[in-house]
Amino acid sequence: MGVIDLDGLTVRLGGRTVLDGLTGELQGQAIGLLGPNGAGKSTLINTLLGFHEPSQGTARVFGLDAHRDRAEIRQRIGYMPENDSFIGNMSGVRFVRYMAELSGLPPAEALERAHESLFYVGLGEVRYRKVESYSLGMKQLIKLAQALAHGPRLLILDEPTNGLDPMARLRMIKVIKEIRQEGSIRLLISSHLLRDIDETCDEVLILKNGRIAALSNIEQERRSNRNFLELETAGATGEFSARIRDLGCECASFDGGRLKLVMPDNIAVRDLYVIAAEQGVQIRRMNLRRDSLEDIFLRAMVDSPSATATPNQNQEARPTHVSL
Amino acid sequence: MSVYKHSYRAYGGKVTPLWTRVLVLARYGLAEVWSSKITISLFTLSVIPFVVFLFMIYIANNPLAQALISKSRADVFEIGPFFFMKVLESQCWIALVLTAWIAPRLISFDLADNSLPILLSHPISRFGYVFGKFIALFASLSTVTWIPGLLLFVYQGYTSPTPWAGRNFSIAVGIVVGTVIWTALLSLLGLALSSWVKWRVVATGLIFAAVFVPAGVGGLISAIMRTKWGLLLNLPVMMTELWQRLLGAPEMFDGNLSLPTFAIVAMLATACLLFVVMLNARIRAREVVRG
Repeated sequence: MGVIDLDGLTVRLGGRTVLDGLTGELQGQAIGLLGPNGAGKSTLINTLLGFHEPSQGTARVFGLDAHRDRAEIRQRIGYMPENDSFIGNMSGVRFVRYMAELSGLPPAEALERAHESLFYVGLGEVRYRKVESYSLGMKQLIKLAQALAHGPRLLILDEPTNGLDPMARLRMIKVIKEIRQEGSIRLLISSHLLRDIDETCDEVLILKNGRIAALSNIEQERRSNRNFLELETAGATGEFSARIRDLGCECASFDGGRLKLVMPDNIAVRDLYVIAAEQGVQIRRMNLRRDSLEDIFLRAMVDSPSATATPNQNQEARPTHVSL
Repeated sequence: MSVYKHSYRAYGGKVTPLWTRVLVLARYGLAEVWSSKITISLFTLSVIPFVVFLFMIYIANNPLAQALISKSRADVFEIGPFFFMKVLESQCWIALVLTAWIAPRLISFDLADNSLPILLSHPISRFGYVFGKFIALFASLSTVTWIPGLLLFVYQGYTSPTPWAGRNFSIAVGIVVGTVIWTALLSLLGLALSSWVKWRVVATGLIFAAVFVPAGVGGLISAIMRTKWGLLLNLPVMMTELWQRLLGAPEMFDGNLSLPTFAIVAMLATACLLFVVMLNARIRAREVVRG
């Protein structure tokens, strides 16, 4: 059982199909939710919170039905919404305490946890100020504090770095990483920023037009492509690439002496230089690169089924984990 | 998670039952309402009529005080259904003024700051949210409606030289039923209208308008069409007739103009239903845009 299980999840809102037959199992410690605007990220989060009823299929969080068992699910979830959402005329500590009590903490414990979580996110010094007087960065942090106060098992962060300046963004990313490392909380982070997901998540779900474009373990993808090389050469490139293939490398040649190759673990870069010297080939540029999340995202955007395809076709074509 | 260590600590303590979360909303709602000096001032003003009525009961049951005020005993008022009708009228209109101030504080703050997504992401349903706010408003209004009404009834029973309370128990029932209907209606009206406007001042005006504008329209309908049914839009008249019947007080209209009880009850039930529909449409974590 994953943290989140989607089984043919379809959500129609206002006559439009916003989520179209999502199927997959999200198991990561920190799951990134990526996609262009209108892809259905926020709708998926709202469905997991029980705000929207699935038109077809099911969504499960910790094995509980997202609509039928929404009260139990919300008990275990901390949610940080994307937009401003707070009670402005309350002090920071009172607001967080209120939210913690709504999550089931007795008043005394809620007050204690409110103080702790505000210190934890870095708002300890301003906790008695009214929330409406907070800066944008502080408002983001207090949303995080209220999501953490009751000790959730799953933390859903919707665009956590939205509108933050670079320093505030770094602080937010640092806090998220700490929460991830602590290990008792699973994270679901929705963001437009690939960099945020890249830094904080180990699994990514990419949505496009309400469908799953990719569901991938970022760490595995990186590991599988760790010896991905781009070369720019001059000289007898054809013979050079043939020799490299003989070593066991996957190699693709392009115009202008450009080569792309994936090297097995037993081959070192030095071996390439030896062959180049034997063939009289100059290696003018060598770029060792990992498969970045950006590559994964762009490939998913290009490769995913078109928006006009029928749901049945997509459902058949869509595996649970997409090989990248 | 610790104030000094600045590290995260999972929570492993006890958790309150789900049904008590509504009371959390009610408690914070009450705290919000009574943190306002204007609420305190309005409540203090609302005590004045109560004190006057209390004094009147004291006079009516004290021969010495009567002798000091009036030479003839016939001048002294009688404590009965008519007296309690006046109590209800004054206290219930004070409740309307309080509603116009309190209800927007309970809902409009949440709407203005878009706090519904965050509130409803906790284990509380939309019904639970409205019910919690309803409890806060109902409890606040109770302090000026059925509680002082019953206190006056008890005081009259205590000071009366004859066994009064037992013989007039129907008045106590009338006070409770009449004020509870009015308080519940006002609570729903206040919450429903406040949920549709983000500005508290506008919401306050809207609550008064919702009571008096239909009354004016109803008066026009009655005058133009020469019918009594226009009074069904007149909330003050409907409630007055209902209170009179519940207390057994003399009616203000004769038989031709008085409204049947079932029509009044049906109209009040329809109004409550309309308020519930309005709340259902507005109190949502997310709005769905059609198209």
